[in-house]
Amino acid sequence: MTTSLSTESPATSDLALGVAGLTVTFPGAGRRDVPGVVALQDVGLQVRVGEFVAVVGPSGCGKSTLLRVLAGLTPTGATVTGGAVTRLVNPAGGPATAWMPQRDGLLPWRRALPNALVGARIAGMDRAVADERARALFDEFGLAGFERSWPHELSGGMRQRLALLRTCLPGRPVLLLDEPFGALDAITRRRMNAWLAGLDLAGHGRAVVLVTHDVDEALLLADRVVVLSDRPGRVVLDLPVPRDGTQDARRTLLDALDPHGGS
Amino acid sequence: MLLVGWEVGVRLSGLPAFVLPPPSQVARTAVEVAPLLGPDVVTTLTEAGLGLLVGAVVGLLLAVLIAAFPLVADTVYPLVTLTQTVPTVVLAPLLILWAGFGLLPKVVLVALTAFFPVLVAAVTAMSAVDAEHAEMVAGLGGTRRHQFWLVQLPASVPGALGGLRVAATYAIGAAVVAEYLAGQSGLGVFVQRSRKGYEVDQILVAVALVAVLTGLLFLLVDGLARLATPWQRPSLPSRPGRTPL
Ligand SMILES: Nc1ncnc2c1ncn2[C@@H]1O[C@H](COP(=O)(O)OP(=O)(O)OP(=O)(O)O)[C@@H](O)[C@H]1O
Ligand SMILES: [Mg+2]
Repeated sequence: MTTSLSTESPATSDLALGVAGLTVTFPGAGRRDVPGVVALQDVGLQVRVGEFVAVVGPSGCGKSTLLRVLAGLTPTGATVTGGAVTRLVNPAGGPATAWMPQRDGLLPWRRALPNALVGARIAGMDRAVADERARALFDEFGLAGFERSWPHELSGGMRQRLALLRTCLPGRPVLLLDEPFGALDAITRRRMNAWLAGLDLAGHGRAVVLVTHDVDEALLLADRVVVLSDRPGRVVLDLPVPRDGTQDARRTLLDALDPHGGS
Repeated sequence: MLLVGWEVGVRLSGLPAFVLPPPSQVARTAVEVAPLLGPDVVTTLTEAGLGLLVGAVVGLLLAVLIAAFPLVADTVYPLVTLTQTVPTVVLAPLLILWAGFGLLPKVVLVALTAFFPVLVAAVTAMSAVDAEHAEMVAGLGGTRRHQFWLVQLPASVPGALGGLRVAATYAIGAAVVAEYLAGQSGLGVFVQRSRKGYEVDQILVAVALVAVLTGLLFLLVDGLARLATPWQRPSLPSRPGRTPL
């Protein structure tokens, strides 16, 4: 009984998941002589247990593609090379990751609450427990009262929050979130940011990879910010976020994002 | 308009009533035979309704099999297509030989015509599943079984119901043909009897009745389909409105 407790809190230097030398190529529009699109080139990314990593980069640089590979999905029709994904966290059985797509992926034939329970059902969670947790999160995410709405009756921002809820509910150790707050107003976004920041990642042996366009959001939430270059996506900066005073870090990030910019 | 033209045409040309009676006479006949048609209508509706139900269930089950086991598709599809190429006139006597003169062969015949549109529509819907949804399930750790229950099966429902609407328009006609070939009761039997007595007006009454019943059945199936898919938006797209100046 007591021996199992000793493994409860893993050291924060443990690798949660990572890729090395990842190159993803999409074929050109159906013809052999048309060169394909290289979405990612030789990308390496290591995420340790307890770490919150934000990925930023210009639109179309391969952020979503990177997140798919981390989630163990092969982007449709793509050639993936060197993407050795290592996942060390695997407690309750089943895969360690839960992935939230950039488009919410809500099932149109399920009402909001059953949609929120999809992840829990896949994870084989107890129905009553999942239901109770879902209702509590509906409250916290500002979705209370919409449990019986169809997805098409929800606003874009509400759909995103519902998709996030579905992803978090099963309690998988690694959350892979693709622009979860893109459609939210500033106030709701701050509330959701506060919720994410409140997850005790280190204490529970978990990790988050967050794709975002918002540098300030990245600095606020993440322990590390990874900047990808314009297509083909390469890692141009891997910046630990200082605990105090992010002004310098902010400038460094913006410079990395826009190398040819003014100033 | 059509009816008036028909009435006037028949009167002017002096066609005998056993070739083409005027609509006024058909209407009079309809009122006369209406009380006698009750049992026939019930028989035909029972056959069509049961056949439609069996056809829908079989069509959906086959679609599920085909989606779950791609190998099955290669063997089942040719067989299924074969059943659709054999004309009812050939099939009906065989079924009667095997299943007797009762309700069963008619139900089977209606089911045979009804399952095909359901099957084709459901299979198409299942293979055209939104990659976005399949990926979402996989990204949460879902297996093929989860894919099937959470995405493929529910995604096929609107398609299958579309097929059922098509099948509903065939069902009454198929039942009538089956009765016509061999039956003891039903609209097809009524037509058969009328034909032997050269009572064209009665045949026309039956034709009109088949059309009306088919319309009603279609409306019923359409209503049930709407009830079964409450998530589907009303099909009216919002139009760019012109704001008054
Ligand atoms: N399924 C696909 N087929 C072909 N090309 C694709 C596919 N998915 C992505 N791509 C290409 O790969 C590149 C990277 O796409 P990705 O979606 O990863 O970008 P992103 O960084 O997430 O962009 P955004 O910030 O706009 O979401 C793009 O140029 C896109 O054209
Ligand atoms: Mg993206």
